[in-house]
Amino acid sequence: MSDKELTSRDWFGKASAAVVLGFTLTLALTCTFAALFSRGDSYFTAQGQMAMWLSSPIWCVILSFCFFFRSGIQAWTWLAAANLIAWSLYFGIRQLMS
Amino acid sequence: MRTDIVKTYKDIHSWVGIIAGLALFIAFYAGAITMFEEPLQRWASPLTELSPPPSLERTPDLVDKVLAAHPEARKSYRVHLAIGAEQPARVSWSTGSRREPGITYFASLAPDGSLEVSTQQPSEVAQLIDILHQQVGLPFEHEIAMPIMGAIALLYAIAIVSGVICLLPSLIKDLFALRFGKNLKRMWLDLHNVLGLFSLPFHIVMALTSVIFAFHDQFYDAQRAVQNIGATQVQREGPPRGGPPEAPPELAVLEEALPPAELVRRIGQQMPGFQLRTISYEYNAEEGHHGHIQGGDPRYGVRGPTYGLGEVDTRTGLITEGDYLPGKQGPWFAAISSFFAVHFGNFGGAPVRWSYFALGLAGAFLFYSGNLLWIESRRKKERKSGAVEQTRATRILGALTVGVPLGCIAGISVTIAAAKWLPAGLDNLASWHSRIYYAVFLLAVLWALGRGAARSGAELLWAAAFATALVPIASLTAFGAGEPRSDATLLVELVAAFGAASFAMMARAARRRSVDGPRDSIWSATKSQAATA
Repeated sequence: MSDKELTSRDWFGKASAAVVLGFTLTLALTCTFAALFSRGDSYFTAQGQMAMWLSSPIWCVILSFCFFFRSGIQAWTWLAAANLIAWSLYFGIRQLMS
Repeated sequence: MRTDIVKTYKDIHSWVGIIAGLALFIAFYAGAITMFEEPLQRWASPLTELSPPPSLERTPDLVDKVLAAHPEARKSYRVHLAIGAEQPARVSWSTGSRREPGITYFASLAPDGSLEVSTQQPSEVAQLIDILHQQVGLPFEHEIAMPIMGAIALLYAIAIVSGVICLLPSLIKDLFALRFGKNLKRMWLDLHNVLGLFSLPFHIVMALTSVIFAFHDQFYDAQRAVQNIGATQVQREGPPRGGPPEAPPELAVLEEALPPAELVRRIGQQMPGFQLRTISYEYNAEEGHHGHIQGGDPRYGVRGPTYGLGEVDTRTGLITEGDYLPGKQGPWFAAISSFFAVHFGNFGGAPVRWSYFALGLAGAFLFYSGNLLWIESRRKKERKSGAVEQTRATRILGALTVGVPLGCIAGISVTIAAAKWLPAGLDNLASWHSRIYYAVFLLAVLWALGRGAARSGAELLWAAAFATALVPIASLTAFGAGEPRSDATLLVELVAAFGAASFAMMARAARRRSVDGPRDSIWSATKSQAATA
């Protein structure tokens, strides 16, 4: 898929994308989970707690695998696109559930 | 797998490892010890000055006397079912609030039936070790230390994934190979790989749960902020704060609550197999009679480090809130509790605790061996490029790799032993334990930096061995012969004696190596002596 070899040189671009956009992506996905499964207004329900716990594996996976992106710019672009999809999904589902 | 991927992730693994490794060593060593927090607390706590606790049937007599003489206990007091040095009385109560805890009082009945009250606190050394574990040894306020710990936990997660990616291509070839031989770096690498791979599930669990323990407030706040976007805001008004404190309830009101023996019986009927440890009797005008119960059940994992929590109606004995009680939870809450349980190792009783203890020590060793590998590979590169002296970075990191772990080990041992020697009436025992730990820790780190890795390695291992031997020595010399022995205290002494012997053996090996080992190693004392001469 690429002729360019992967290196660790652009680590800051990739890691910063995973920290910032990885976190917002995690937030969108976990809030989607909460919107689907959580009942009642209290955010401290078991399902709400589960949504909070899911933050850890999702964010860690993004942080760990972000170095597969070929450059920092690629990391920011792809993660921004993923954010857009995930946030649309979240607000779409919230609209449907209400 | 493509070699460039492996190379990239090898770089990532080295750097996250070197940043997080020493902090993780402290977290794992202290964490392994917290597996035996309760025996340690029992070992470290002074003998109570109170008379032996009354039976559960005679407890109402004690409670009546406490409530009459100490109206501040009427709003909330606790009845204990498990009593030992770490929990020295049948009945206790505390002043202050949950946020700002005041003094805890313990009460018993003298042989003539009169009330005895003591404020002599059980030892807090076990909590200090727990805090060292939670804050990866950082001497900061909780609010500052926790985000740093969280960042280290995230690096730890990256280290796990990158380490596995590096290992995958040669997994079959390397897995069962332990090449002890001439090539020491090879041996350390084999050891690092085999340890890391076989404890992989444990490490994944620890990394993921630690990230949550560090950042749960931030995650909740962010999620709540998202859920509140565009939602109708409900103004919640709490009770006005800072008003005059509620007057203690009348004694006649409190008599509506069931006596402890009957309450215990009714709780037992609803939860067979549950080992009840504490009941709190609480009353206020808003909520009326209610109580909290604490206890465990080895068949289930629990939410707290060693216990689950629930609420009862103290007039009827009915469990009103069981979401955090073992066996009373729905599937969602049981799943959440299991996340806590796999971090705390509080399911399955003693075998699981011992396994977690071993895995924790193995984890600490894993980070130590990772640091050694980093140093060894840098040393090689320098030799190839012609440098004779080790760089300052290698020297300092070598010294820290010796000083930080051994300082942590020695500091923990000395501060545990000090529990037997610090005068029981001392104000703020907890901060004394903290001072002792950090003094020993800092001294060891400075010693390592001043003397270099090779010489300080053996010396600090002797110091760690001696410090750990102080724990059983403290048992023998302090408090005289009146000390009640128990399996729990014997366990602490045996483990400490075994640890001291192990450190002494390592010290002898390190000494041999610094004299006879390869002279270009950073562990060689002969070369550094030649350089200074």
